[in-house]
Amino acid sequence: MANPKKGTSQARNEFIWGWLFILPTMIGLIILNIIPIFQTIYQSFFKAGDFGRNNIFVGLQNYITLFKDTEVWQSVLNTFKYAIVEVPFSIAIALVLAVFLNRKIAGRAAYRTIFFLPMVAAPAAIAMVWRWLFNSEFGLLNHMFGVNVEWISNPSIAVFSIAVIGIWSIIGYNMVLFLAGLQEIPRDYYEAADIDGASGVRQFFNITIPLLSPTIFFVTITRVIGGLQVFDLIFMVMDKNNPALYKTQSIVYLFYQNSFVENNKGYGSTIVVLLIVIIMIITVFQMIAQKKWVHYN
Amino acid sequence: MERRAKLTQIGIHIILILVSFTMLVPFAWMILTAFKTIGEATSVDPFVIFPSQWITENFTTVINNMNFLSLYWNTLLLILGRVVAAVLTATLAGYAFARLNFKGKNFMFSLVLFQMMVPGQIFIIPQYLMVSSLGVLNTIFALIFPGLVTAFGTFLLRQAYMGLPNDLEEAARLDGCNIGQTFLYIMAPLTRSSMVALGIFTAVFAYKDLMWPLICNRDVMPLSAALAKMQGQYSNNYPQLMAASLLACIPMIVLYLVFQKQFIEGIATSGGKL
Amino acid sequence: MRNLKKWTALGLVAVMSVTTFAGCGNNGGNNGGGDSGELGGELNVAIWDGGQQAGLQQILDDFTAETGVKTNLQVITWDSYWTLLEAGASGGDMPDVFWMHSNEAVKYMSNGILLDITDQVNSSEVLEMDKFPDDLKEMYQYDGKTYALPKDMDTVAIWYNKTMFDEAGIPYPDGSWTWDDFYEIAKQLTKEDGSQYGFAANPSNEQDTWMNIIYTMGGCVLNEEGKSGFDDPKTVEAMEFVDKLIKEVMPPASTMSETGTDVLFNSGKVAMISQGSWMVAPFKENEYIVEHADVARLPKDSETGRSISLYNGLGWAASANTSNPTAAYKLIEWFATKEMQQKQAELGVTMAAYKGVSDAWVNSTTEFNLQPYLDAMEDTVFRPATKSTLAWWNPMVEEFKKVWNGEEEMVTACENVTTMMNEKIAEEAQ
Repeated sequence: MANPKKGTSQARNEFIWGWLFILPTMIGLIILNIIPIFQTIYQSFFKAGDFGRNNIFVGLQNYITLFKDTEVWQSVLNTFKYAIVEVPFSIAIALVLAVFLNRKIAGRAAYRTIFFLPMVAAPAAIAMVWRWLFNSEFGLLNHMFGVNVEWISNPSIAVFSIAVIGIWSIIGYNMVLFLAGLQEIPRDYYEAADIDGASGVRQFFNITIPLLSPTIFFVTITRVIGGLQVFDLIFMVMDKNNPALYKTQSIVYLFYQNSFVENNKGYGSTIVVLLIVIIMIITVFQMIAQKKWVHYN
Repeated sequence: MERRAKLTQIGIHIILILVSFTMLVPFAWMILTAFKTIGEATSVDPFVIFPSQWITENFTTVINNMNFLSLYWNTLLLILGRVVAAVLTATLAGYAFARLNFKGKNFMFSLVLFQMMVPGQIFIIPQYLMVSSLGVLNTIFALIFPGLVTAFGTFLLRQAYMGLPNDLEEAARLDGCNIGQTFLYIMAPLTRSSMVALGIFTAVFAYKDLMWPLICNRDVMPLSAALAKMQGQYSNNYPQLMAASLLACIPMIVLYLVFQKQFIEGIATSGGKL
Repeated sequence: MRNLKKWTALGLVAVMSVTTFAGCGNNGGNNGGGDSGELGGELNVAIWDGGQQAGLQQILDDFTAETGVKTNLQVITWDSYWTLLEAGASGGDMPDVFWMHSNEAVKYMSNGILLDITDQVNSSEVLEMDKFPDDLKEMYQYDGKTYALPKDMDTVAIWYNKTMFDEAGIPYPDGSWTWDDFYEIAKQLTKEDGSQYGFAANPSNEQDTWMNIIYTMGGCVLNEEGKSGFDDPKTVEAMEFVDKLIKEVMPPASTMSETGTDVLFNSGKVAMISQGSWMVAPFKENEYIVEHADVARLPKDSETGRSISLYNGLGWAASANTSNPTAAYKLIEWFATKEMQQKQAELGVTMAAYKGVSDAWVNSTTEFNLQPYLDAMEDTVFRPATKSTLAWWNPMVEEFKKVWNGEEEMVTACENVTTMMNEKIAEEAQ
């Protein structure tokens, strides 16, 4: 069988080439991102002075405050509510659309472009339109359906309304990733299925989903992270006078308020650490669970 | 059978048209607003959907006040710089993480994932200080700087390489290709669509990046920064803002139209493994 | 003759290179060059309001013509502005000359981020410091040193919809009204079916609405000891009046928060709003407001007959690390001279901080009668501020939000705000 000497030289080769290949990315990431992350974690043990000077070491004080801070835990709950709606719906819808648009169909390029439009539209336009659509008194939704729902100012539904905007703006993003993934599924699988007379729906579940699972896995991981980091939408759509803000503001929103508005960088960093821990736990679970459903060749 | 296929086609089109409609609403809104007066644009009356008079002043004012040529050029350089750097570094790293075994790989890959877990706002001030100490503030390099590498792209390309069959690589190695050659000639071309997807995302995020260009730069303005500057502290001139946004996103749409063509059904084959 | 010139030039070059080398290691020198008037160099100037760019550019051009110092005006958004200054102050490079706001001033002054201009201001031959309001000057002083000069001043007035007054047969307000009159008028202008309301204000309309009512009715936000004024019976009384307005003449809180009071006003849903003079520029561009609206002075208190407006003003400051402190100071001084304060008003940029030249600002506008804003300067109170104002300001607004939404009584909110403010203010002292 394999020559042991050859085996070690292969291992050495892979080691050299491997590090050579990842080196540019790793150097960049460590300098640009990883070091600042550790500075942030370090800062969470301090009461930050102005402009990074005169930081006072407070040990675990910020963490103790954090655990007692109901506003923080409310924001964790808000963030979960948002992500639980946004992530599955945006993935499912985008997956179906991508499958439709991967085959020969009239107007394919036009559809693909239209679904991509929300990604290049000006954020100010997106916020303005949705605020108007959802406006309880003058909005299109309530007028069209003859109802009187306070979509974005009723504390119990506002976070879901925001999630709808989230789904809308992220579908194009997921679709592009699925389209790219679909290219890598060999066509002959489908041809064989056609000969067997399998319906489109069966092909979707028996061929597309399993073979696309590495991409689905990637989209799920990145979307869960993205969903848990929601900020812009809330920042743009929710006015600070909005009665639903307390039950809508996300973890990152709270971090932004503390670190950038109220000049409370130490506590802001503590909130970031909490977010990292939450995301890390969920991601590790997903990494373990992938072995059950993701198929690599 | 024929009939059923036709019905399916129609059903699919109906779904696609419905979704298209919701996707187009904000865009239509941008266009309508760009032709309105400020009074009309900010009125909450739900039935003032169309402008009473289609005015083109908003476009002419914006074109006269903003140097679109230089804005397009700077944005193009920014996008180009980030796309080239990101696709290059992510393809290399993605391949290594997916197909090579070496000591330290898992730890390094967990750092990549770790980076993605952190909200981007925390990087702004540290990265500003880096650019400042390098003495390259106000250059195009400063604009590109935070996008030189990408954790997201590395992960994306890793997934793409994970999905490729083993036999191709083995065949290449038996033919005497070293790892570099295998990567360059055999494997990299097969992940073209993922590279295109990464290119599209990098371009869109570079185009939308707002805070960074405003902070690291006062001379080399990309479009996003110029649009942000139009917003007043207390109120916005929405018609002009929409007119400028429309002009700004047209090149992006054209770019996307060109690149989405890369997503053509079934370029990969199973290599007869079936 | 030509040779002489040549030799002189060479000689100069020689002398210059000697002095250059002699200057090595001596970092203290500045390139400002004293009083010769030849300053040179270039200054980066940063502001956050795009609406003022055109007017200020003209004033900067005059400065360049006068001194030869080039300027580079940079406009960025409010959020990015403070991140930029923060980053710059933490070790990067800051713009040379920039705006300072009363919310942030103390933080920047107490950390030595701003250029100390005390001596130059005291020895200046062109400044007339007694022409600026005291509170505004003092806002930009710290430990007896001056760090910025006043740029402008804003006051508050009522905007009303003339058409709605006509319809209801109510004469336009002439400024002689009291808050009780105001309430009656607002009541008449509020229609039963909810299609029109008399007045609108959000919890966050503090400086431009409800704090003016507090001070006019004899209350205060901060008392003379620098503690919370929300336990003062007069303050509570004024807030109870605000509560009455919320419940009887304003749209539902959710509508106001979703839509915004100025949008409600320019959509013809609300007859009156109270707004600061900073809104004049955007309102001028709105043809609905130009056609239907005008300005009246804030109502008076029925007992004292006083009408008090809050005021605030920005300052021009320079970075302590600027490479050209002399020119930077010259520019700050330039903005504070009578001529340029007047020019700023004439160009319609803002009201001047300098007393007596803002008539030009009123005259610059033909769309509305802006005189009420100027009249409001007769009786003003500076926007309440402590060392770290934002620490209690935002929670205060949060607490009053509960009253707006009907979740809490006004009296309870005032009690809670008092406790919270006093805690935060005590923390500042540490």
